[in-house]
Amino acid sequence: MDLPVQQFRTKAEQAYLDLFEAAENALPGARDHFVSGLRTKAIEAYTRLGLPHRRIEAWKYTDLRARLTDVNPLAKADGVAVSEDAIVQALGAEIASLPAYRLVIVEGDLRADLSDLAGLKSAGVEAISLARALEKPPAWLRKVLGQANPRGDDPVLALNAALMAGGVALRIGEGALLDKPVHLIQIDGTGDPASTFTRNVVVAEAGSAAMVLESFAGLGPRALQRNAATELKIGAKAAIKHVKVQRDSDETFHLSTWLVELGPDARYDAFQFSTGAALARNQVYLRFAGEGAATDISGAFLLRARQHCDTTLLVEHRVPRCTSREMFKGVLDDEARGVFQGKIIVSPGAQKTDGKQMAGALLLSETAEFDSKPELEIFADDVVCGHGSTSGQIDKDLLFYLEARGIPEAEARALLVQAFVGEALERIEDEGLREALAKTSAAWLGISPD
Amino acid sequence: MLEIKNLHVNVDGREILNGLDLSLPQGEVHAIMGPNGSGKSTLAYVLAGKGEYEVTAGSVTWKGEDLLAMSPSERAAKGVFLAFQYPMEIPGVATMTFLRTAVNAVRKAHGEAELSTPDFLRFVREKAEALKIEPEMLKRPLNVGFSGGEKKRNEILQMALLEPALCVLDETDSGLDIDAVRIVAEGVNALRSPERAMLVITHYQRLLNYIVPDRVHVLSEGRVARSGGPELALELEESGYTEFDGQAA
Repeated sequence: MDLPVQQFRTKAEQAYLDLFEAAENALPGARDHFVSGLRTKAIEAYTRLGLPHRRIEAWKYTDLRARLTDVNPLAKADGVAVSEDAIVQALGAEIASLPAYRLVIVEGDLRADLSDLAGLKSAGVEAISLARALEKPPAWLRKVLGQANPRGDDPVLALNAALMAGGVALRIGEGALLDKPVHLIQIDGTGDPASTFTRNVVVAEAGSAAMVLESFAGLGPRALQRNAATELKIGAKAAIKHVKVQRDSDETFHLSTWLVELGPDARYDAFQFSTGAALARNQVYLRFAGEGAATDISGAFLLRARQHCDTTLLVEHRVPRCTSREMFKGVLDDEARGVFQGKIIVSPGAQKTDGKQMAGALLLSETAEFDSKPELEIFADDVVCGHGSTSGQIDKDLLFYLEARGIPEAEARALLVQAFVGEALERIEDEGLREALAKTSAAWLGISPD
Repeated sequence: MLEIKNLHVNVDGREILNGLDLSLPQGEVHAIMGPNGSGKSTLAYVLAGKGEYEVTAGSVTWKGEDLLAMSPSERAAKGVFLAFQYPMEIPGVATMTFLRTAVNAVRKAHGEAELSTPDFLRFVREKAEALKIEPEMLKRPLNVGFSGGEKKRNEILQMALLEPALCVLDETDSGLDIDAVRIVAEGVNALRSPERAMLVITHYQRLLNYIVPDRVHVLSEGRVARSGGPELALELEESGYTEFDGQAA
């Protein structure tokens, strides 16, 4: 028997529905059956789920419904002026100067004038603006959009699918080996509060190898509500490195979801580096769909004031002989709060699975907080899985040792914090990027680079 | 010149040093010996400025200045160096980075310019070679995976690089085989000079065969129970510490 249920919605929950209703007919792909079908399904899921709150286990430490009291209007991507100096300023010189094929996305809009589309094309990569692609998706995009490790139970992702209006779709051709990273610079202007819904799609065809670096930053302070998703479908024997550098302005809400599906013998190495945003939720859903694949998902977050950064990972071993490694390190000062939730699911039959995760936080103040929740769900018997979690303050004995060598206390503390973060940064193979992030960490700590 | 007068020190509310007097003139090497628990390591830590040691009475002056009023890094800048009994392992900090940071911090405190990278590398290589420290070891994280002997040689390397005026060696021979003791002792002897005072803390006389002290002080129950020349160490080797154990009890 169906009873009419009047569901209670918060102001913000209702505001998203209103936002969708008002924008629906003007969103890219409104007249494309496939795209509008995706959106309809997504808004239905959101309507059913509402905004996530602390009684939902996966959102236990990040009560989005309580934190998100108002919803900002959609950003208008109408030609924000972006200079090279502004990019350097927003990303930091270390990151901005990394040699890369640049794709600059301003308020969701892929800016051809600031991007190296020709260079990418000759390297074997097709790059198209998502806004344009949604109007009439090419066949290859229709095969993946909304289908790389799909999740029907995530309201943040559902909102993204319903309202996605920008970003970039990349197809890395079969066997293409990129000589330098593809740098997706996702940057936003200053001005009125706004919401952005962007989605990037990366299809790495069999045997290809590339690094995709995603940078998020603002050109200045702005109350931005960012909902960004990246779908990656990684083909057989492809090797993808995926790095995110998040330096959003400290008024920004940064909601990010990565959906990853790995084919046989594929390799996926991810790193997430966060220093920005008032509230950040970094979700990674990864699924092994082919045997013999491997992943390393690591990261570092450096937070102060009242920043909140939540890293939530779900790694599903659905097939045998796959390896997953996770290592996150957080530095928390003032009243900052770090959250790590790492779940590994080993399906029945996924024998010879090897999964390990580690999360650690260094608390620089009495009022900082770290919540760590590892979860292992293992339904196969021939597996190796493990997890560890640490949280503590700077070791006084180590500090004394450095001070006794003449290193003043502040400098000695910074050196120990850097060493702590360094253990995570060591997971990055690319030396240039590793050093850039080490310098970015040092700058965060107030150490001038030598 | 180091002058310690009537030093009383508590750790966790327990009195460990109990009216210690000691005077160490410039250019001299004094040995501090004594049974376990007599306060030898406490003395070393108090001189270097470790936090949890509470000085309840007495004074320590170094070259006429109140040492106890200085922070650990200020003491290091004033030339005080403690070679640790248990050197710390710091994963994530390369030994070379640590050495350069320390040397440059002390140079900066002296108003000297930082050493350029090539100059610093030359400086380290020369000192490291004398201590039989492989260049590869300097690339590793500080003391991580180092053997006991490597850690102690690394301490002496730091001492050679920082060129301190007061060296406090806390049980530098502990855990070392005889060859390692010899290498470390040679490193220490190379640093003996009329401008440098040394306090060599050891439980055993063995080290003092290699580093021959000008004076020997025996600690018991937190104060100097007896002082003498190098022959006192030999005497203790014969008789042991029985005479000093629980003397004040």
